[in-house]
Amino acid sequence: MSARRLLTLTGAVAVAAAGAVALATLTSASKPGALARISNHGRTVTFRSNALTRNLRIDEASLLAVRSGRAYYLLQTQNGPCGAVGRPDLPDTLAAAQCPQGHFPTAEHPVLDLSVYESATHDLGTVSLYRAEGITADGVSAVQFLRPDGTIAVTVPVSGNVYATTSVPTGPIAGVAALDRSGRRVWRSP
Amino acid sequence: MTRVLLVLALCCVATVVALAQPSRASAGWCWPNCSTYGLLYVWTSSGNGCWYSGGEVCSGWSYWSLNGVTKTCYPGCDYWHQTPGQILYGFENSARIRGSFTRLPGTWFIHPSDVGMGGYIRAQVTEWQGTVSQINAAAAG
Repeated sequence: MSARRLLTLTGAVAVAAAGAVALATLTSASKPGALARISNHGRTVTFRSNALTRNLRIDEASLLAVRSGRAYYLLQTQNGPCGAVGRPDLPDTLAAAQCPQGHFPTAEHPVLDLSVYESATHDLGTVSLYRAEGITADGVSAVQFLRPDGTIAVTVPVSGNVYATTSVPTGPIAGVAALDRSGRRVWRSP
Repeated sequence: MTRVLLVLALCCVATVVALAQPSRASAGWCWPNCSTYGLLYVWTSSGNGCWYSGGEVCSGWSYWSLNGVTKTCYPGCDYWHQTPGQILYGFENSARIRGSFTRLPGTWFIHPSDVGMGGYIRAQVTEWQGTVSQINAAAAG
């Protein structure tokens, strides 16, 4: 082997090694954090075609959990992930869906709050909880619902990336917060 | 002549009864219309007696089966991708208003059954907090 050929071969090996190291570093660095991933892959399901599912343009749907007579889904759509709920006794239909254009789950938005709020007064600004439920990233272990003065109205634990309860307190609710495993608040809205 | 008058009277009664019935399946509602976005401020009103006198747009009364809202970043989302306004979207009847909140851009759908409502109701979107929301809302019956 000539010196020139040896030099070329050595250079090629060096470039390949550098590329491999760069790729490995990039993969490690770009791995989403606990607030930006959902590890519960659930069970693949198919929905009946109706006005809602046609609008969503679903590529893939997973049933994450069934809690208290409600089914929780993660949808992969052409506009990014969506969270959805339905009834387990009507497995091919959806009752509600939220599609935040790819902004879930992220470190800025690790919670998709599917809760329903209500008011029986005509004063804008006061609501109470009708039902508390939603989908979270891996890094969220509980979701808190807050009173207007910032005190905690109820804390709902997260299991399998889903929180849900119909046992909700009466009285005003003014915000939602997410806690990590250590009890540290990692997100709040508004 | 009597027979003609009787037929005419029956037609009039049938017309009145038909007009008094709410539209069922083919009804639709869009705000501001079915092809563009509108700006929802805390003082905006669709002027048809919604639950809140300001900040809310609502459909007429009907047997709605779906409310869909598309929300954009306009006039600009912040660093956390949040729009300038938080909306409550859902339904209302004569006793209460129910729905879900969002401050993010995207598309949001809700059935009356999801908020424990049914029958003769209104679809609604309310500017809850913030400055403005650019939205298109549509309800199907």
